[in-house]
Amino acid sequence: MSLADLLSRRLLFTVGKGGVGRTTVTVALALEAVRRGKRVLVIEFEGARGLERALDAHRQARDPAPGLDRLTYLAVDGKRALEEYLEMIIPVRRLLRTIFDSAIYQYFVAAAPGLKELMAIGKIWYEANRADAEGDPRAANGNADDGPHPDLVIVDAPATGHSLQYLRMPQAAHEAFPVGLVHREAERVLSLLRDPSKTGVVVVSIAEEMPANETLEILAGLEGIGLQHAALVVNQVHAAPCSEEELDALRREAETVEPLEAAASDAALFVEAVRRAEEESGWARINATHVARLEAATRAPVALLPYVFCEEFGPEQVREIGRVLRARFEETSASAKPRGVGRGRAS
Amino acid sequence: MRAAVSKSTREAAVVRSRGTRDLGDVLSRHRIVVCAGSGGVGKTTTAASVALWGALHGRRAIVLTIDPARRLADSLGVGPIGNTPIEVPASALAGLGVGKGGTLTAMMLDQKGSWDELVARHAPSEEVRESILANPFYRQLSQSFAGSQEYMAVEQLGELDASGRYDLIVVDTPPTQHALDFLEAPDRLLHFLDRKIVRWFVRPSMSAGWSTFQTMNRTVRFLLGKIEDATGVAALAQVSDFFSAMGQLFDGFEARVDRVTALLRDPATAFLLVAGPDEQVLGQVDYLASQMAERRMPLKGVVMNRVHAPLDIDESAPEEIASAIEPHVDRAIGAKGRGEASVAGKVARRLAENLAAWQGRARGDALRIEVFRQGLPRGVPLVQVPDLPRDVHDLEGLRSLHAFLFGAVD
Repeated sequence: MSLADLLSRRLLFTVGKGGVGRTTVTVALALEAVRRGKRVLVIEFEGARGLERALDAHRQARDPAPGLDRLTYLAVDGKRALEEYLEMIIPVRRLLRTIFDSAIYQYFVAAAPGLKELMAIGKIWYEANRADAEGDPRAANGNADDGPHPDLVIVDAPATGHSLQYLRMPQAAHEAFPVGLVHREAERVLSLLRDPSKTGVVVVSIAEEMPANETLEILAGLEGIGLQHAALVVNQVHAAPCSEEELDALRREAETVEPLEAAASDAALFVEAVRRAEEESGWARINATHVARLEAATRAPVALLPYVFCEEFGPEQVREIGRVLRARFEETSASAKPRGVGRGRAS
Repeated sequence: MRAAVSKSTREAAVVRSRGTRDLGDVLSRHRIVVCAGSGGVGKTTTAASVALWGALHGRRAIVLTIDPARRLADSLGVGPIGNTPIEVPASALAGLGVGKGGTLTAMMLDQKGSWDELVARHAPSEEVRESILANPFYRQLSQSFAGSQEYMAVEQLGELDASGRYDLIVVDTPPTQHALDFLEAPDRLLHFLDRKIVRWFVRPSMSAGWSTFQTMNRTVRFLLGKIEDATGVAALAQVSDFFSAMGQLFDGFEARVDRVTALLRDPATAFLLVAGPDEQVLGQVDYLASQMAERRMPLKGVVMNRVHAPLDIDESAPEEIASAIEPHVDRAIGAKGRGEASVAGKVARRLAENLAAWQGRARGDALRIEVFRQGLPRGVPLVQVPDLPRDVHDLEGLRSLHAFLFGAVD
């Protein structure tokens, strides 16, 4: 699968635990899509600010990425989405306000935890469906610039706790509410989510023991709710600067110079360079072990992103990640799974 | 090129040593240590290492852990399921030089069963318990209510403390979006189960729907009816049933939440923030600290994990480093020829790039940590643990962290 295939869908979810670089991958994908002329809406859930902050950084960058004007942002708030939804079906706005402000309604919303999540997903469904050409006469006329409909919606899915909670909600609601509008709403959302030509889930992980374990749980969880992941992005993969044999020889050399030439600056520099090489090789070995576990658990393309060493991870690094991501997917569109490692880090 | 200890490195070393002494002090003055933080930064390992330090200093220590890596769980003797305290065998500790009377116990918090257990513990009868566990609303709630895991961790903490069997309890908290989430869990739960509102819901008429509220005017009733239609009638009945059942176990519950909150505010409880040097939390430390103080749960220490500490050499361009180290690389791998094209030249260049990149990263970490430190309340120690490429998965590994957490010990 090429990156173009992935970005041709209506709706992408980037799913992963906090600290694996999920937001970076979200932004990198969005920038790749707008660069290709698509209008993109990126969404995060109310309360999370990481995506908004990342986009601000891109907008304020000295050399902004091409197509940024085609990128819009939305924070989805389940409670607000529920109110919007109710206003849509009960068109007595002023009175509804009174209800929304009442303690009993507040409590009802708080007490029905699935409802807010379902409404948030419903809102995403609505945004993604606006992009559907079949349902949009203007798009059918071929006038792509007419109106603000996004071509692609990318959702930065929550970082902590149950990262699949939102995705699970339509099915849960479908079962929990056997009749009524919520049931029908859930059904509509489910049919979009389960259509692999329209919806893709991009799972983001890093190749260390605990995050890889969690990613395996996420993959199993997705399967459990009938969603297939479109791609697995393994972030922050370290590369050994030299082979194991070379490292052995360098280590031996470092041991001999250390006591003799400790005062000599070049020798000290060499010793430090070898130590850092050992460390990088160590990380590379750990990463390789867990990349293998992750690869064994999926049939989807696996894109490895390099660990980026830098003073501060900023917009330029994100664009670099985007370029690497493109290359990784392009590599595989012809052959097997994408591979490859350089140096890089996304946070 | 000169390799000299830079000024900033020396200063960092001084601050570090002062900080490490203080973290030991914090532990010796508190009975309960709660490790808070957003997760993914070695919180579990830090908590286990802190508990081991207690045992080595003669404390009867227990670590209440959430989700340890399997090998760490194995070496602590706790399995993935169940939550009974298991003592690490004295023979395993003996080799580490545990002080007189010191013991180490580990206990795994069973996250999935936590709500079920809470219900089981407080239900007055088998019948009530079963009706709650089978309620569809409850099943959704127990899966998604934010704070249930946090609350259960605190409740478990209360039990361990009441048992009197431990004089150092270290709590590893569930990963949260925000470090404050853990502290807010009991209050949020109490608010959620607000007695007045629960009573509202448990009126027998509730099962029949909103329309029975006679105190409301007709328009409101009509609109609530519409909302009910929109959201599904069955849900309301389920909510009502749930609270009817919950109401029966509410009395013991409220008192319990109060006790748990008091325990978190006890002067014997210390909060440690566990973080990494590239997190958002670093920019918000003054907010975090003031919020914790406001909740009367002050921050007592910071553990900064996965730090790239500045090296004792000056920074140079990769080309300079490469040419300086090439003779040594050449001697080591004995490549033929010299310069860029030779194997030694290439390896030297990659080593140099790696070193220079590492130093850039270290510079960034140092800067972020310094900004963070300036926002930290006075007297709160900050210790740094380097980003080492290894899984800490046994007692020896946990002890090796003490040098960074507490300075030279044992």
